[in-house]
Amino acid sequence: MKNFFKAAIAATTALTAASAASAADSVNAAFFLEWATPNQIAKVDKAYDAAMGVDVNWTDFTTGVAMTEAMLSGDIDISYSQGLAPFVTAIQQGAPLKMVGIAVVYEANDCFVANGAGIDSSNASELEGKTVAVPLNTMADFSFRKQMAALDVDTSTMTIVDQAPADGAVSLADGSVAMACIFGGASAKAAGEVGSPIMSSQEKRDAGIGSFDVVSVTEKFATENPDLVRSFMEVTAESNAAWTASDEQIAKVAADAGMDVETTKNQMAGFIFPTPEEQMSDYFGDNGIAAAAAASLGVVFSDDSDGTAIATTIDGSFLK
Amino acid sequence: MLNWLSDHRASIAAVIILLLVIGFVYSIYVGRKQTKLRSKDEVFGDPERTRGGWYWSLCGISALMLVWFYFSWGIGRAYFPDAANEMCQIAKLEEAVSPIKAALPIGSRYYKSTTLVARNANQLAVIEAQLPTAAFTSDEQAQLTKIIGSTRRLLAVSSDPANQSQASRDQLTSLSSDIEALSAKLRQGPGDRTPSAEALAQPRWGTTHIEIPLLPETAKGILFDEVAVSAKEVAKTFNKIRNNPPANEAIIAETRAEIDAIKAANKSGSFDEDTAATRNAYVKSVERIFKRLDDGHIFPAASLDGVNAAIADLDDAKGEAKGGLGIVDALFFPGDGVVKSRTQCTEQSSGRWLPKPTDVVATFFRLANPDIESGGGFKGTTLLWWKWLPIGDVFAFFTPDWIADILPGEYARHSADGTVTPNFKDGVLAFAQGDINLGSVPMLDGHIWDSLFRVLVALGLGILLGVPLGIYMGVSRFFKSFFDPLIELYRPVPPLAWAPLILTIFGIQDDGKIFLLFMVAFAIMVISARTGASGTQLTKIRASHSLGASDGQILRNVILPNALPEILTGIRIAVGVCWGTLVAAEMLAGTTGVGFIENVARTVSDYELIWVTILIMGLLGLAFDLMMRWVIGKLIPWRGKG
Repeated sequence: MKNFFKAAIAATTALTAASAASAADSVNAAFFLEWATPNQIAKVDKAYDAAMGVDVNWTDFTTGVAMTEAMLSGDIDISYSQGLAPFVTAIQQGAPLKMVGIAVVYEANDCFVANGAGIDSSNASELEGKTVAVPLNTMADFSFRKQMAALDVDTSTMTIVDQAPADGAVSLADGSVAMACIFGGASAKAAGEVGSPIMSSQEKRDAGIGSFDVVSVTEKFATENPDLVRSFMEVTAESNAAWTASDEQIAKVAADAGMDVETTKNQMAGFIFPTPEEQMSDYFGDNGIAAAAAASLGVVFSDDSDGTAIATTIDGSFLK
Repeated sequence: MLNWLSDHRASIAAVIILLLVIGFVYSIYVGRKQTKLRSKDEVFGDPERTRGGWYWSLCGISALMLVWFYFSWGIGRAYFPDAANEMCQIAKLEEAVSPIKAALPIGSRYYKSTTLVARNANQLAVIEAQLPTAAFTSDEQAQLTKIIGSTRRLLAVSSDPANQSQASRDQLTSLSSDIEALSAKLRQGPGDRTPSAEALAQPRWGTTHIEIPLLPETAKGILFDEVAVSAKEVAKTFNKIRNNPPANEAIIAETRAEIDAIKAANKSGSFDEDTAATRNAYVKSVERIFKRLDDGHIFPAASLDGVNAAIADLDDAKGEAKGGLGIVDALFFPGDGVVKSRTQCTEQSSGRWLPKPTDVVATFFRLANPDIESGGGFKGTTLLWWKWLPIGDVFAFFTPDWIADILPGEYARHSADGTVTPNFKDGVLAFAQGDINLGSVPMLDGHIWDSLFRVLVALGLGILLGVPLGIYMGVSRFFKSFFDPLIELYRPVPPLAWAPLILTIFGIQDDGKIFLLFMVAFAIMVISARTGASGTQLTKIRASHSLGASDGQILRNVILPNALPEILTGIRIAVGVCWGTLVAAEMLAGTTGVGFIENVARTVSDYELIWVTILIMGLLGLAFDLMMRWVIGKLIPWRGKG
């Protein structure tokens, strides 16, 4: 009997060891379609493969949550441009991921007020007691809470309706909500037809409200292949630096992102791609933006969220 | 009390599991005995045979609960409450040595050096074949071929044990002995290490949002934790070891100079744009491979054998130190074990997406707490509680606002002294809007009630309109022919397909959601009432007709009772489908409701919350079905006895 158990343990250990075996012959990276970034030129030219010395397989995803799931199951090693919201959610659920860089910085999602309502940033407190449509637990939710705090509006008096952006735009047009917070190009356009953003781009910038996407990797991949992570970040920084927004470059990115040139141009006009130095000084330093934003986003998702715990998963060392 | 229960949920689960096992065994014993006892008297196919049988219900429920406990790691946590924390420490050790393992056959089949040699040799061959002869002069081509040749020689020199630098040899030997020291430490056993106060103060496994706390809580755990800390240092040292054979130094210096010369030529030369681009790209790719090889990442295969053996020995020592934990892990923690992240350790596989029954109950009680201030309810609404409902609101619901608008006169204005005196028109408007105090009545409130209300109203409307229509369609040519195409056209459309329209037509209030559910219930009720009515035996109708019954009497006393079994079955089906559609309906514009909770929980992958909502809907459906069975037993006792 004892021998049997010994054999059983040995077999189990062998199986675990076999499943843990991972020669980094190829690296699996995740990206979003319809989300144009300069590193897609490096992706198309196989500059990543050349610099890292391994095959880089790119898989496109539609949501950041799906990226997390794929990273948990070991199918993806690096997620480029994962949203901050799904990253924080994953950390709260105990997923072994870490943030190693900032991919894209862009304007925070807009909250649209119906055109006829006569409400703008100067009299935003009139929104108190009204019904607003917010896609709960998304970056738009985060942006909504930040904007209301900046405008000094008490959200506890509002009736908050959980609506997907497309539905929120419809409800705004019907007048059943006073304000709709929207993410996504098509829905924002529809909401823009019948309403206007409560805070302008400049006002949001002045209030320090912004969004960014991150580069996240699995803990396992980062400990086993730190050199690969480092060259990935290097190539990304190189292609960001080489970005001149020339027609040729935009055409290449548009083709890879699956969009037409005009949409790509408009989308990228709102994007900032911080250099490694900027990331180190602004985002990953002590009291950097990354940790602060992740901590306050954590509270939106869960009241008992621990910001210092989330901060331990933020690691800028691969940028050096 | 609740906190105490919550903290001791593992022990409570241990008792429950024991009871379940006893119940399971006992029910099978009783069931077999009963079956033997009755087998002689019963005829196969007799519906009476299905009566009774509580023991098989007990058997089914306890089997289901036991499977749930097992795959959610509930049994493991109940009887081995320290196991997960110890496995977490082992995961730390795994993680600490993973950089070393990744470079060795024990972790990744090949030596990392083997992979590097094979990969770079391949790439050198590719680059050599791709040399763009048009862009470089023949001298430069020879130069580049020489650079590639030198780079290849770097591979050969690094791989030869004879050339290995003494420094790296010594470093690897000392690294092996460091690893052996770790194995020895593991083999010495945990001894009488005591956990720190901080570790003991950690919340128990699964009682807070931190699943498995990180700090070691047992002697064995501390041992693994200590070894993991030292192993991390060893791995750091390992990552810094470089093999820089003296023989390589000359080659590297020479090649670097040659590459710099070509780069300088690229810069100074006046080439047209295409040629310049080709030259730059090619030199860059050559330099890239060279740079990868000039910093001593490649070791002779034999030189790493010592480290590989030491790590294999460490794995053995780990297995020995694990002891019984290995069996516990294999038997009671189905799936991929425990994974460590920066903030906590988490269960993998079924343990991750299937919360333990006790945790689901705990989450349910947290939600059910009516005191929202102290963290009860969900998003500011209780689960099921009561509130004072102003009677004014009830009247306002039925009174449209425009009634006030069509009254003669104007609404009041504020006067010069800053006061407002309401007139009759204002009073009517206040009534229509519910701003009038008529007292209050107690009323149910909360997510469950809101969902239940929507389902019940929709179902009630469905029955009220669907049953008469269905019965008339069963007896009247006009009703059948007129409504048949309409009903049959919309019935097969899945309710979700209506959803986008509902939002625009009805807005975000309850009426849209109720209408969506009503559409589902209505179709089912029409079909079942119609089938029931048209299935009436003609002889019964003829008999009552010949006894002088009027049309109304035939309808009430013959056709309706005959259709009742079908109608009641229709209601049972409609309830089920309504609950199914509810999640979709509450996704449109969610403010409250069980479906709303599930939709929000989904966005943050909160599996406990998701399971709570699934169970709430299941239990409500079950309660309703039990009620319907009782109603069926009372209303149509003759069913199945004809």
